[in-house]
Amino acid sequence: MAIPALPAEYTPPASTSKLTPTVVQPAGKLLTAGPAFLAHVRLMRHHNGDVRAADAAARAAAEAAAAAKANEAGEDDDLGVGDESEDDALLALDPKEWKKQDHYRVLGLSHLRWRTTPEQIKIAHRKKVLRHHPDKKASDNTASVLGLNVNTNDDAFFKCIQKAHEVLTHPERRRQFDSVDPQFLEEIEDVPTEKDFKGKTSPAFLSTFAPIFEREARFSRIQPVPPLAVPTDGLPSTDPSDIAGHEFPKLKMHVEAFYDFWYNFDSWRSFEYLDKEVNEGSDARDDKRYTEKKNKAERARRKKDDIARVRGIVDLCMSVDPRIRHIKQQEKVAREAKKMAGGKKGTPVTTPAAAAAAKKAEEEAKAKKEEEEKAAKADAKKAKAAAATAAKKARRAARAAEEGEAA
Amino acid sequence: MAPKATPNGNVAQSSARATPSNIPAVVGINLGNSYASIAVYTKEGQAECIANENGERQIACAIAFHGEEIYVGNQAMPQLVKNAQNTITGFRNLLGKKFSEIDQSISSNSAPVIQHPTETDTPAYKVDILQPAPSPLPTSVSNTPAASHAPTPRSEPVFSTRILTPQEVTTMFLSSLLQSASDFLGKPIFGAVITSPPSFTQTQKDALKQAAEDAGVRVLQLIDEASAVLTTTTSSQWPGGAEDRTQLIVDVGASSLSLSVIALRSGLGYIMGSKTMTNAATVGGDALSSLLVKHFAKEFKKKTKVDLPQPPSTKDDIRATTKLLLALEYTKRTLSASPTPASLSVESLHSGMDFTATIARMRFDLLASPVYTAISSEIKSLLDSISVDPHAIDEIAYVGGTACLPGLDSHLLTSVGFSENLQTAFSNSTTGNGAIGDPTGVLSIGCAMQAALLLEIQGSPELIQAFEQAEDVKMTARTIGMLFPTAGAEESEGLGGVYISVLHKHTPLPARRIFEVEVTLSGGESVKATKFGFEVWEVEEGIKADKVILPKSELDDDEEGEEPEEIKTKTITKRNFLGALFGETKGTASKDKSKKGTYTAPLQIEFVLGMDDVLTVEARDSKGEKVGELRVEC
Repeated sequence: MAIPALPAEYTPPASTSKLTPTVVQPAGKLLTAGPAFLAHVRLMRHHNGDVRAADAAARAAAEAAAAAKANEAGEDDDLGVGDESEDDALLALDPKEWKKQDHYRVLGLSHLRWRTTPEQIKIAHRKKVLRHHPDKKASDNTASVLGLNVNTNDDAFFKCIQKAHEVLTHPERRRQFDSVDPQFLEEIEDVPTEKDFKGKTSPAFLSTFAPIFEREARFSRIQPVPPLAVPTDGLPSTDPSDIAGHEFPKLKMHVEAFYDFWYNFDSWRSFEYLDKEVNEGSDARDDKRYTEKKNKAERARRKKDDIARVRGIVDLCMSVDPRIRHIKQQEKVAREAKKMAGGKKGTPVTTPAAAAAAKKAEEEAKAKKEEEEKAAKADAKKAKAAAATAAKKARRAARAAEEGEAA
Repeated sequence: MAPKATPNGNVAQSSARATPSNIPAVVGINLGNSYASIAVYTKEGQAECIANENGERQIACAIAFHGEEIYVGNQAMPQLVKNAQNTITGFRNLLGKKFSEIDQSISSNSAPVIQHPTETDTPAYKVDILQPAPSPLPTSVSNTPAASHAPTPRSEPVFSTRILTPQEVTTMFLSSLLQSASDFLGKPIFGAVITSPPSFTQTQKDALKQAAEDAGVRVLQLIDEASAVLTTTTSSQWPGGAEDRTQLIVDVGASSLSLSVIALRSGLGYIMGSKTMTNAATVGGDALSSLLVKHFAKEFKKKTKVDLPQPPSTKDDIRATTKLLLALEYTKRTLSASPTPASLSVESLHSGMDFTATIARMRFDLLASPVYTAISSEIKSLLDSISVDPHAIDEIAYVGGTACLPGLDSHLLTSVGFSENLQTAFSNSTTGNGAIGDPTGVLSIGCAMQAALLLEIQGSPELIQAFEQAEDVKMTARTIGMLFPTAGAEESEGLGGVYISVLHKHTPLPARRIFEVEVTLSGGESVKATKFGFEVWEVEEGIKADKVILPKSELDDDEEGEEPEEIKTKTITKRNFLGALFGETKGTASKDKSKKGTYTAPLQIEFVLGMDDVLTVEARDSKGEKVGELRVEC
């Protein structure tokens, strides 16, 4: 309702009077029916007729209900399925090009993707069908209202939905599609390279690699996959290189197991989805065989590439892993300490200075020993030579004596 | 999720199938004396009057016994022709009554009411039935020396009589209604809200309740017709209607007329006055039918030379009249539904002669005018007795099949003198489709809505208790309204500004009303105008009648056309000035070029009149922040 402005020189009446007192039931009792009566009764019984108190209570109840609903939504994974927005590009998809479409996006599951359960796919498909069935489109077709017989190709998106459902409900075909999931392909484009870590400001280790391994883990035949970060009982470690706050043996064990797993990574990722279509028909048997052969080779090549790719990631990760460096260092220290302990029984080396002193002493002892050995060797040589000359002399003397007797 | 198969291949009856939803099903039943209807909540969450398995939305309250068969509802009505002695109608009004209280003078063409043979002072019906024969006693093998190849003949059913009290008949009838509803919903019915006429005493209400409980349904509440209409007409499904309005309920039953004037105040309602006529010979559907029967009897005589005296005396005449009455039901419905002439056709009406006739709306309205006039005079006398001017009625809620007749509506509009803005089922064109605005379903839909409401609060007995008995309530004594003063309109238009009525007279407390207005801001020196303000007044509403001589039309020939016509207008007179509210808010520049330089702002104005008799007025801007406040004490 539009209200005109107050007059410029407006003044309200000077005298005000009080409210006329209320009356009790001049006409009759209230009819005891209807939602308004219930609201009235609630107001009177629960809030003593105070509208503001009732408002506050209603607001609190609404909030509690919303919270309860949110909780419920968290527990029930059916909710939120298939309610994604549909842009024009999506609706304009061509069912003939179904291989290129993102099936998860078509069913409104792009926020869940490979995590989608079969139950969720079922629900999402039903929702989409309800919305896009050609029978529904027929009624709100403006062209038909205008009396024009235009082929609007209305069921195109419905066909896309059916194709997406067909692919995603078949476990094998879904695996093939998941292998070449467009979003995954996009994600693996920006993997950090060695160069990134050579610079002075290398990216944080854990936050860079954890998501990479997380998304690769989906292809593992062995589940669950050990995570990059060392598992903790309480809160995850805040250290970006994931060293602080872990016990050393546990850390070492986990890191070793992690790399062991990833170097022996067994992936189910396969590339049948990208196969070239084989021409059907008996006349093209050779053609068919040829294509099949090519596809097989291509699949094998892709698989090899994929294995190499994963290996590359693991190599890079290991080369820049601060934990590996930490482990090596710790092990070295431990080894040396052990050695030291072996040299001086009962007096374990505690400080680096002591260690250095010990080292020095050791070296000295070594040199001394060497010298002694050298001297001993020389003496032995001399003795040997002396013995030899003595023997020679003796032999010569004996020979001279024999010759003297004979003569 | 395929149902589990049992070893023999049958589908196991799982309990989950019986109750597809966890919400218990509730129904609303309008149990009239002649017709009943059922309403349920459909899957779409809308209350709807449903048809039974025979496709009838208005189900005749009749039960007929014929041999081993029992007919309930509209199927029982044809039995009145040949099997009237075993057909029970009009049992609802006898509920809970003693035999001595029943007026025996009213003749009926159905099973007579007799004194119960064993219980004292109890009315009963006696019907002849065929009892299925008891199965023959099993005979021992030793007694039969040689087995016969012929099957044992089925023993004949036995003639017998059955004594039924009105309460038992009601139970039978209600259980058939409930069966229809549970078939429609696919789950058992948990509870029901049933209408009871205001004339019912507590004993009668108890008897009705007991009958329903015997039929296997929990009675959530028995509500009178006015309450059922209130529930329907204040729901969001109801077409049209302001928040605060005065409503006239015209319930034209078969043999009764009940009128109520109800003040609706934001969903709360109270009866300002009511009038009920039962067993009335001059108003109602039966009166209409008898007028029509007289008319068609004349027609029949004209066509076939066979006399059909009215009222009928011989057995043949009674039978012919009954046949005519049954056929007339359909004629009346056709007349209500379409403007084309309706046909009436009865095979072998009397002495083997067939009868076919048509009747146009005009002719019908002429015939029915005594009934129409009787109804309009009843309305006039009711409005007179509570001193409410017909012009103050904002809405007529028609109830019942007879009220579907457009002729009745147009007659009432012209003869009683309602205002032109009157809302009816006809002005909203909601008749005849079984939807919410249809007069035939108003009561049952209201009952269904009420049942759903009561189901919600099953957990809180103190609230349910409140529905049983209304308590005293405080009401405002005068209408309170707000007035936005304007420059041009000084006292010339009476008020000097734009007036909005806020709390109508006799609004139950506590009350709150919220208005959303778009104010044009004013302000002195600054570039942007920021100020707004309005006055709060107590006003008195009245109706002014002006005698106006209409300008004579040139084509009008008759000389008596100078009679002055009364034109009524609603008036508002300022009584007490309660205060003025001023505030400042930020506005946006008006987009309209003709009003360049003006600023407008949307305002939400809230009036709260609490139990402490303090009126608080609050103005809020579009963000919900308070920009002005006024407090008026008693």
